[in-house]
Amino acid sequence: MARDTDLPTRRDVLKTTGAAGAVGIAGLAGCTGGGGDSGNGSGGEGGSGNGSGGGSGSDDYPALGNYPIEGDTAVLGFNVPQSGPYASEGQDELRAYELAVKHLNNGGGWVDSQFDDLSGDGVLGMEIDYVSGDTATDADTARQSAQRMIQRDNVIMITGGSSSATAIAMQELCQQEKVMFMCCLTHSNDTTGKNCVRYSFREMFNAYMTGQALAPVVTEEYGGDNEFYQLYADYSWGQTQQSSMQMFLEEAGWSQVESVPTPLGTSDYSSYLSEAANSGADVIVLNHYGLDGANSLSQAVDMGIDQDMELLVPLYNRPMAEAAGGAISGVFGTAAWDAQLDNEPSQQFTQVFNEEYERTPSGPAQLAYAQTLQYAAAVERAGTFYPPEVIKQLEDYEYDNIGMGQELMRKCDHQAQRDVPVVRGLPADQQEQGTYFEIVNVTSRDDLGYGCDEGPAAECELGSYE
Amino acid sequence: MSLLADVLTVLLNGLQQGAIFALLAVGLSIILGTLKFVNFAHGALYVVGTYTGLLVAHEIALTSGKLQSWGFTSLGLDLGFFAALVVVPLFVFVVGLGMERFVARPFYDRPDTDQILVTFGLAIVVQELFRILFGSNSLPFDQPAWAAGPIALPVVGNFSQWRLYVIAITAVLVLVVYALVEYTDFGLVVRAGTRDAEMVRLLGIKITRPYIVVFGIGAALAGVAGVVGGPLNVVNPTVGTDILVPAFLTVVIGGVGSIVGAVIGGVIFGLTTATLVAVAPAWSQIGLYAIAAVILLTRPQGILGNEEVAP
Repeated sequence: MARDTDLPTRRDVLKTTGAAGAVGIAGLAGCTGGGGDSGNGSGGEGGSGNGSGGGSGSDDYPALGNYPIEGDTAVLGFNVPQSGPYASEGQDELRAYELAVKHLNNGGGWVDSQFDDLSGDGVLGMEIDYVSGDTATDADTARQSAQRMIQRDNVIMITGGSSSATAIAMQELCQQEKVMFMCCLTHSNDTTGKNCVRYSFREMFNAYMTGQALAPVVTEEYGGDNEFYQLYADYSWGQTQQSSMQMFLEEAGWSQVESVPTPLGTSDYSSYLSEAANSGADVIVLNHYGLDGANSLSQAVDMGIDQDMELLVPLYNRPMAEAAGGAISGVFGTAAWDAQLDNEPSQQFTQVFNEEYERTPSGPAQLAYAQTLQYAAAVERAGTFYPPEVIKQLEDYEYDNIGMGQELMRKCDHQAQRDVPVVRGLPADQQEQGTYFEIVNVTSRDDLGYGCDEGPAAECELGSYE
Repeated sequence: MSLLADVLTVLLNGLQQGAIFALLAVGLSIILGTLKFVNFAHGALYVVGTYTGLLVAHEIALTSGKLQSWGFTSLGLDLGFFAALVVVPLFVFVVGLGMERFVARPFYDRPDTDQILVTFGLAIVVQELFRILFGSNSLPFDQPAWAAGPIALPVVGNFSQWRLYVIAITAVLVLVVYALVEYTDFGLVVRAGTRDAEMVRLLGIKITRPYIVVFGIGAALAGVAGVVGGPLNVVNPTVGTDILVPAFLTVVIGGVGSIVGAVIGGVIFGLTTATLVAVAPAWSQIGLYAIAAVILLTRPQGILGNEEVAP
């Protein structure tokens, strides 16, 4: 993690260049203003623009955000939950981010095999370094941590999640500060819907697509005239998840009995579950994730709810399944990605991750690794770290190199159009480390998604490039 | 579903949720009442109890944390739940004695704020220590085989067996502690010391020793709460912090220093949550604190608190 501190930083340059009072002072205000208005921001950019010759920036773009990079090291910011209900996801994301940095600098993994744009010798000749932060699964903490990365560490790109609330907070800050953001695990419709921004891209599918992928599978399994009862985590993700499930299950002929919010971080769901069990519904949809999902699902099974009713967990992941143990047996859901996917990129990633950490990677880990390399490849194609050019390289980019089939990173809302794996939990005696689900169906992207003027995308206004 | 079944379900849910709070609150309350020591590290003792219980009762597979990187792929004695129920209170009792000697005693005569700061700091240290050793990953704490899964109750229908055991174990433990404090010589000295420590010393009784034991018993109860409450949720290092605030509120509602008060506080808390979730789920969190506020406004010393003892 050593960083070359001998080279002049942007602040040093700002302090000395021009010595011209007005611009210099405005520039400093822009750097230290903690999310100041755009007037201050552009002052700072102007100041550092003067200084770009002192660094290694050799192209003709104006200063913007933390561009140009001084020195020969580009710093990435990995802002993940290292505490709070999604902490175990965050831990696996961080492992994958560190692996991505290693491969970007020294080659290996997808850098050698799947990403032709990448050389394995840094990015645009620059060594890649990183700083990591803890979002504590809390939007305010995430924003503060991201702000520190932008101001103190001069990061050129931030990436992170989970929790959609934290991802949305970070991407809004990044748009304001003109620093790129690559979403990791965020599944709320709002991330690329009403809260979408130009400076952020999402590889992960959203709650809307989960509803589209899951409804036909469970309708075929359980019949088409079921009554369902929903519990949902009461924040951005849970709210959009429950509304999407309602929409697509009702379209399939089901009817909703009730939908009840539960506070994020609830540890005892027994009272909520008793109500659901007594509602007379046929199916209970548990829109909980991470630790919350592990608790609500295992408590539901412990109460015997699965004997009379079916359970659904719209969004699964590995650490959650690991903690819930045998409770996931037979329960349908969707997963970001799974190590069992039988294609070359997936198997390669599983292998290199396993070699590095002696463990099977989770879905969020694959997202973290993929989004870091996607950013780096876009920088290589753009020939510059200048954010608007990198953004243009990612927009409407078609690819098929991360194990999720042919994909398109759509320009209108920065939402990847991709396949969605539908999975079903395995019984305890068939589970082993890293294998918790059977893949029931990989729903093709052709059967999913929505136009740029419908669904969540209809509410998306991306904002400016510069 | 009849109204009777609804009411009984709410009652059972309320009692079992209140049971864990009561178990924690009893220990917290007797430490606060007799020693006037505000122990924010009580949640940490719950964490110690949960992890120790998990390791005594089961053998767990480790997938992250320092222990795993040191080569432990699995850890635990796998002695079963009864062993945990015996070993953990003894172990946490000893931990409590150490805590009394090295953390609490130097702070007895210091202001409450100092006590809060040092114990809260200790709680964070313990939490992070477990995070480093076992990782952030949540670990499943399987219920003992004889109490796993649901049981069909008359009227109510299916109910988690383990949750019924939680209510029963809590009731037995609280009765034992109550008897100890109310009907033994040891309890007499402790209660006398609470009223007038100087007079007890003048009568030639060494009061320090009973006080240490009180601290140890309070700690042991938190440890047992960790073992009993562990299988209700998945286990991770933050469980202690999550449960601390409700436990303190339970003490304050019930009245500091009163064992019966702590139990009543726990039951009120549990029933309020269970009722509000059934009737108006969106208000369940607010309702909890609103009840606490109303009780404290009308009876600042708590339901069974003694005004002289209240801090």
